[in-house]
Amino acid sequence: MKNRNRWGRIWLLAVTVLAGFALAPALAVAQEFQKVSGPLREELPATPFVAAAYGFIWIALLAYVVLLARGVGRVRKDMAELSAKISEQADRGGPRP
Amino acid sequence: MRSLGIGFVAAATAAAVGFLMVPALILGAPLEPVMGFVQKIFYFHVPCATMLFLSTFVCAGGSIAFLFKGSEAGDRVAASAGELAVLFGLCTLVTGPLWGRKAWGVWWQWDARLTSALLLELIMIAYLLARRYGGPAGRKLSAALALFAAIDVPLVYKSVDIWRTVHPQTTVVPSLDPRMRPAFWSAFGLILLVWSVLLIVRLRLEGARAELASLRLDAEDMLETGQ
Repeated sequence: MKNRNRWGRIWLLAVTVLAGFALAPALAVAQEFQKVSGPLREELPATPFVAAAYGFIWIALLAYVVLLARGVGRVRKDMAELSAKISEQADRGGPRP
Repeated sequence: MRSLGIGFVAAATAAAVGFLMVPALILGAPLEPVMGFVQKIFYFHVPCATMLFLSTFVCAGGSIAFLFKGSEAGDRVAASAGELAVLFGLCTLVTGPLWGRKAWGVWWQWDARLTSALLLELIMIAYLLARRYGGPAGRKLSAALALFAAIDVPLVYKSVDIWRTVHPQTTVVPSLDPRMRPAFWSAFGLILLVWSVLLIVRLRLEGARAELASLRLDAEDMLETGQ
């Protein structure tokens, strides 16, 4: 009975070791790089980069035009205020420029 | 402010139409075999960089006139061109990394071309800051900075030939495929037109501000003597 148990354990150990050897290459294969089949796929699509670059230039120029328009508006407003002030003074009888 | 005239309106309309038409030409140009579609950024990245150089030279020219002859008109030209240098420099420094991320795999490389271009942009930003916040000596200080910026321009341009960099060399444009040239030169013409229109408007604005300041002084004198 004792001998039977001993042989049983030896068989179990042998089967485990053989199974380990048999499965080892399969595990190694799973960690290898995959070979590409067919045309190479691009990781990063180019279209968003091109669209972002063109869009940025558009937005930057447009923003600058808006800033210029605001500057022109401010100068016109200041000119009008100054004219009104001068006219008011002239109406009061002050010297004309 | 005086009216900008029919020539200006025509140029501004042509620029707006160009922004819609030139992309069609760029899309129709052949693909570059190594970089593929992302190389299309080249068609407006290079003109923007050229406008950065041109604006810096114009700014330096105006600054020289102001520093050595006391020319107020030169100072106004320098101020207008300085702003455009920062604007087109920003466009160059944003479109470049977008191209580089796809072509090189990184957004930025501390190589000679990119670093010297960033330095130029920083000098031009310093020019505007010195002008705005530099107090009474601000205009002279900023004019001196513009001269440093102009010295940096040839360094930026030749850096790709002098040092080994990841950036394409200066031979790219002269050796451009003939089928790519119409798209490139139309994009270049468009950006040059936009630059000219913006410079004219900015100069008129600077002139109107100077006129307003002078009128304000006259009016103050008049009001004081009138009371």
